[in-house]
Parts: sequence; structure tokens; C-alpha cells
Amino acid sequence: MSPRALRDLAGVALVGLGLGYALSRIGFSSWDEVHAMFTFQKFDLLIAFVVGLVVLVPVWAVVRKISRPRWLSRPIHQGTLAGGLLFGVGWALSGACPSIAAVQIGEGQFGGLFTLAGMFGGNFLYSVAHQRWFRWSASTCVDD
Amino acid sequence: MTYWPGWIGGIALALVMIVHWFGVGRMMAVSGRVTAIVDRLRFGRAEAEDEDMSEAELLAALRAETEAAFGSGAVREPAAQATDARPSGARRSPQPFLTHPLLFVAMGVGGLLATTGGATPTWMLRSEGFVSLVGGSQVLAGLVLVVGGVLVGFGTRMAGGCTSGHGLCGVSRGERGSLLATMAFFGAGVITSFVLGSLL
Repeated sequence: MSPRALRDLAGVALVGLGLGYALSRIGFSSWDEVHAMFTFQKFDLLIAFVVGLVVLVPVWAVVRKISRPRWLSRPIHQGTLAGGLLFGVGWALSGACPSIAAVQIGEGQFGGLFTLAGMFGGNFLYSVAHQRWFRWSASTCVDD
Repeated sequence: MTYWPGWIGGIALALVMIVHWFGVGRMMAVSGRVTAIVDRLRFGRAEAEDEDMSEAELLAALRAETEAAFGSGAVREPAAQATDARPSGARRSPQPFLTHPLLFVAMGVGGLLATTGGATPTWMLRSEGFVSLVGGSQVLAGLVLVVGGVLVGFGTRMAGGCTSGHGLCGVSRGERGSLLATMAFFGAGVITSFVLGSLL
């Protein structure tokens, strides 16, 4: 395995451990906490999200200045609004954004297995639906 | 269970995204890794790696194909300039497929480490609101979670990102698609949660 591949694997392992731990300690992996965020009963999750943004804005600005990275742009396309809305409904129902199902399983909340299975199934369903009906550019891949 | 104050959580989340950028050389995007796993299962090795091609690699591949079909010299030089001007830190080669499942396993271990003793494993979720929503029924719980999961998987792939790629990393870079997607999923989450709240 190339050094680069090893670096990628080590980096992803570290990031996954850190993210799983943090999401759990913040309360993002709790259905009740997510529900309290969406109904504005508790603000810690919203604050976490906003503080995350506030930290990241200047960091990316500096990275952009120094190393001129080739970041994929994320323009609005036909799926942006509808996809976001569907994701929001699913998040409120299951209490899980894509990272969370795995974190819940680790925490012994095995209901997350249902969410994880559904998430992979839904991703697969979209890829089939996209090929059959939508055929617009989803911005990250080159299609016909 | 006492949770971290929001501001500590925010710094932790930002750190994770920054470590991902410097450690792996690309933006964090969890739903993108779901897509990579699904496509690998669906199309096998070659297609899955095509999905991971960077713009520069695609240009190089297109150029090679064009030259193979029409003879060398068929591609004029501006294309070559585009491939040469690769700034440092840009993605140059597909990352190993193993990184995609590894992220999910590592997040699970992170969740395990964060769960201090005494938490009883359950096939539900350890959330009173959720248990009350499904009336304590395991069957209903599984159904709600599968349906919710399908919507999450379908919607994130349709929108091209989730809370990490659009919400944190996209919005903080001022990407318009990310801003719209994030407003959409937060808005839909709020409305759905108020509807669910009236059922609790």
C-alpha cells in the first residue's frame, strides 16, 4: 500500500473516531436532543453548528489564500432544494444525519441499524431514480 | 447524560473538518462516502473509481481517449495547461475504497468510547420522545427508522451533500448550493419535528 493510501486511511480513522466521539458528547446522536433542537427547546446543537461555521469560515479563507486548493464548487441544481427537504424530513423522523446511525450503533442504540440500512437503501434508490428519470448533473460527477 | 456546551461542540466539529482537510486532502463529506460504497456495490471496482476521479484526472483520461480515437495532436494544448496547473493540496488520486467503510466503523468506535458504562444496549433508541412516538413498539420503531433512513439517503444524494459536506464545509465556504440545501433540510426538520411533537 502506498504511503499516500496509508495516510488517507490513518486520517480517516482519526477523523471518524473524533467525529463519532464529539457527536455523541454534543448530543447529536440522541433523538430527543435533535428533536429539541428542531423545536427550539434547546439550543446547544444549534450553537455547536453555528460555532463550527464561525471557526471554519476564516480557516478556509486562509487555506484558500495560501494553497489555492481545487475545491469542488457546490452550485444550486435541480435536486438541491427537493433533496434537502427530503433529508430534513428523514432527519427529524430518524433523529439521524448520515454520520449518526453509525455513532448510535457504537453507543448500543441498535435502532441505528435500521436507519443505516434505510440510508444505504435510499442512496441506492436515488441513484436508480436519477439514471431513469432525472438525469441532471448532481455537480460532483460527470454524466452524459 | 450531560452533554458538552454548544460552543465546545462547535469547536470540536470544526476541528474534525480541518483535520480531514489537512489529513486526507479533501473536504469532509459523509454522504459522499455512502454514495461511494453504494456505487462500488452496484457497479464494481472500475465505476466506483471513476466517481472518485478529480477534474484533472478526468481531463487527462478524456485527452488520452480522444488521442486514441483521433490520433495524437487531436487535443489542443489549453487542456494540458489545465492538467498541469494543479495547486498543492488538491486531490490527485482516488482514495482507497477502504477509507469509506472505515469512516463508519471509526465513528461507531468513537460513539462507543463516548458512552460511559451503565448504558444498556437496546434495539430501540435511548430516547424517551422516540419511544413514546412509536408507542413502545419495536416494529413501529424499526419502520419509522427505516423510512427516515431512506429519506436521509435519498435526499442527501439528491441534494449532493449532508450536514458535513453542505452544512458545515459548504456553507462556511460560501457555496450557494450548500446554503440552499442547508436551509431546506433545517426548515424541513423544524416543520416535521413540530408535527411529530404534536403526536408525542
